[in-house]
Amino acid sequence: MSDFYREHILDHYAHPRNWGRLKNPDIVADSDDPSCGDQVHLELALDEGGRVSQVAFEGEGCMVSMASASIFTEYLRGKSLEDLERLTEEEVLALLDAPIPPSRRRCALAPLVALRAGLQAYRR
Amino acid sequence: MLNVERIRADFPALARQVHGKPLVFLDSAASSQKPVQVLEAMDRIYRECYANVHRGIYAFSEEATLAYESARDKVASFINAPFREEVIFTRNTTEAINLVAYAWGRSHIRPGDRILLTQMEHHSNIVPWQLLAQEKGAELIYLPITDDGLLNLEQLDNLLDDRVKLVAFTLMSNVLGTINPAKEIIQKAHAVGAVVLVDAAQAVPHLPVDVQELDCDFLAFSGHKMCGPTGIGVLYGKEALLQEMPPFLGGGDMIRRVEWESATWNSLPWKFEAGTPAFVEGVGLGAAVDYLRGIGMEAIAAHERELTAYAMERLGSLPGLRIVGPPAHQRGGVVAFTFRDIHPHDLAHLLDLEGVAVRAGHHCAQPLHRRLGLTATVRASFYLYNTHQEVDRLVEALEQAAKALGR
Repeated sequence: MSDFYREHILDHYAHPRNWGRLKNPDIVADSDDPSCGDQVHLELALDEGGRVSQVAFEGEGCMVSMASASIFTEYLRGKSLEDLERLTEEEVLALLDAPIPPSRRRCALAPLVALRAGLQAYRR
Repeated sequence: MLNVERIRADFPALARQVHGKPLVFLDSAASSQKPVQVLEAMDRIYRECYANVHRGIYAFSEEATLAYESARDKVASFINAPFREEVIFTRNTTEAINLVAYAWGRSHIRPGDRILLTQMEHHSNIVPWQLLAQEKGAELIYLPITDDGLLNLEQLDNLLDDRVKLVAFTLMSNVLGTINPAKEIIQKAHAVGAVVLVDAAQAVPHLPVDVQELDCDFLAFSGHKMCGPTGIGVLYGKEALLQEMPPFLGGGDMIRRVEWESATWNSLPWKFEAGTPAFVEGVGLGAAVDYLRGIGMEAIAAHERELTAYAMERLGSLPGLRIVGPPAHQRGGVVAFTFRDIHPHDLAHLLDLEGVAVRAGHHCAQPLHRRLGLTATVRASFYLYNTHQEVDRLVEALEQAAKALGR
């Protein structure tokens, strides 16, 4: 039964990395999934070269969305805005390193939805 | 007592394995499985006499028309409608409610009028009335529920006055399972001159429903929750109301005579059935009615009552499991719950891996979940083909899920 809920997923859920808020974020973003109440709040700070220097998130939701957000924040540090723009759904799912059935994709992609909303707002 | 083993043999999908485990299907409140009798009735039309219904002057069309229209007779008799013309085929419950909101509502609701709903309604019995109220400047008011998930009937008298023009409520909640005292509500609504629509999407598949005994003005339900196919539902309406209502959708089949500038309407029920209807599905629904009647709605309701009581007892014994809604004797075969701090989506996912199919989320009742202080629940729902062993499998899977997550 626990094949999907592998240890690293459980661990990220129980001990989310980069939890909290930033002092001076450049990019602030929210994802709201009305179907299950998953919420991811993502904050990024950029360095002078336009790369992600600091990341933080808070949220509420299922294990998949929270673990995915936690793993995602670890991945984001050091990436350029161009890297973030190019990020695909499949790449985000691959970060989880666990089989994601179609019914859970939305949960796993919640942090990407937040990031994309944040990038859009940042460009404006 | 139902012969559940024999019933299960009629439902091919129930024999399947999922993730290497025998399927335990506990999501019939969303949509039920289909017996071969229904599949064969539809298959027969496609294979033997498929042609568009009404007005075809040849044998195939006449046979298809006869099959479709006799399904209407079966449905009328099933809910004890006085006249077959009072049974309008729609796509589903949602479309039936929208039909009333559009055709009756737009010609009867005026600024300042009130529409009374309850806090336990499905989105399909909220949103059509919001659209109508916004358009007409009318007001929606809600009959509250108690913390036990029952309608607060003491409040009903306070809310009902001559400003209330329509009362719309569910006969059985799709989340709480609550079976509402419909006759009493309808009597009180009629006493202030309100028209009453009953959302019977959960009731008609599971309980004996008699529209004359209820004395409701409109009643809506779906075929796919009662062993029938998707794409076919029913609006029952009292003839006098349906007669004076303008049409819903315009098109073929709903007209009598069309001029360049205007048209006159076909008689009931076809006035409300524009375009080629889902007549094969209609025949399927007729077969579903035959199937359910052959077993007996009283017997089905009794089986589900017994199974629900058993499920609530077993689930209630799990530490940290919270069931929402009233005790077993006040509800139908729906049990929604939360389990420890496990998110309902994670729980449903883990249950699925054990072959147990349940629904997780807000079940199209977000305002109700907010009222309960929850974002989501897991819902197990039962039908005539479910067994005590399946309830045991659900409980075992929950215990395993908690273990897997270290909760």
